[in-house]
Amino acid sequence: MTNNSQAKDSLYGQTLLAGLWRENPVFRLLLGMCPTLAVTAAVKPAFTMGCCVIFVLLCSNIIVSLMRNLLKPHLRILMFTLTIATFVTIADLFLKAFVPTMSETLGPYVPLIIVNCIIICRAEACASKNALVVSIIDAVGMGVGFTLTLCILAAIRELLATGAIFEIQIIALAKEGGWFVPWAAMSMPVGAFITLGLLLGLVNAVIGKKT
Amino acid sequence: MLKIQHFICQSWLLIVASFCFGLLIAVTNAALSPKIRQNEINKRNRLVSVLLPEARDFILLDSQIEIKSLQGKKEKVEVYRAMSEAGECAGFSFNAAGPGFADVIKLVVAVDKNFEKIAGFDVLASNETPGFGDQIKYDYYRNQFKGAPAEQLKLVSIGEPEKIDSEIVAISGATVSSEAVVEIISNSITQIKEQMQKKGLLGNDKQ
Repeated sequence: MTNNSQAKDSLYGQTLLAGLWRENPVFRLLLGMCPTLAVTAAVKPAFTMGCCVIFVLLCSNIIVSLMRNLLKPHLRILMFTLTIATFVTIADLFLKAFVPTMSETLGPYVPLIIVNCIIICRAEACASKNALVVSIIDAVGMGVGFTLTLCILAAIRELLATGAIFEIQIIALAKEGGWFVPWAAMSMPVGAFITLGLLLGLVNAVIGKKT
Repeated sequence: MLKIQHFICQSWLLIVASFCFGLLIAVTNAALSPKIRQNEINKRNRLVSVLLPEARDFILLDSQIEIKSLQGKKEKVEVYRAMSEAGECAGFSFNAAGPGFADVIKLVVAVDKNFEKIAGFDVLASNETPGFGDQIKYDYYRNQFKGAPAEQLKLVSIGEPEKIDSEIVAISGATVSSEAVVEIISNSITQIKEQMQKKGLLGNDKQ
């Protein structure tokens, strides 16, 4: 009995940690690249996007896990998309109602969560095969892992593009008497590609050393 | 009969889920749409209040005003009459949109009560290149429009930005974005002015 509960605990722990590092959606699975490149010019939009993805991932994993025994194999992708689209629409409406400026900043990238591979991947790989608790833990792990990655990427880009993180000035700009000349390119798509490439290289180097 | 049975057997979950999810979205939308609409109105009014400082209230004109957009489509425009505290017309405002460098540029434009001078414009939505095209939001470009005649404007590459006339000096490195704004404003302002004159909506404070 104790062995059983210990095994369960370790399964939950492993599922939670998988999303954070071992199977990190951005660095290890290379999923959800569209928002990763598009909304990481600053930390605030990246964090909001991460929260939206956590909400949608959690809701879709719960629904898919609950109806996993009723799913017809050839209709399952249709059901996943339907579920995801519903919660993305709800998240989009909430953003428009309560944080309209952030909703404008994120623009079409919130509705585009519908085609975010992380969510459909977790529905297919985890929620449709596992019980409710594991699916919830998986959603939290993957969602938090995605959000953290987005925030790291956004922090680097925002710092180099504006000298600030979370809109708090960290490096004094040259035009305000400091020394730092902002790199405008970092807030453009080219900055996203370069930063992501360097971070992926770094993660690969760390993992390569370990193995 | 068997076919129908087979169909229902296969897809009942999809049908039930569609209804449930549809209902969920409908309820959320019904609950949040008044707030979303209010947010849009507040933002617009906030921007126009800066352009027309006397304005306290905004009334939508009843008359239908339709203009030909820059892409050649016919579009309805909502023109608002800004009312001052004393209940007098302080000017007009309307939204205008057109293609920019990267994406559609959406503007809100304000003009004086006689539709003779532009009171200014502000950007509602744009996706112009940071550091270049997005300078259309900056004061030194926008100020050129404050007091400019409400007619066809012209973009010039060299000139004095401080001189207020129908010539707008382009932002260096962002000619496409500067031109887009000039064209969007000129296109809508000339057509709206013409239609309002035809309908006798100008020079009549009480309407």
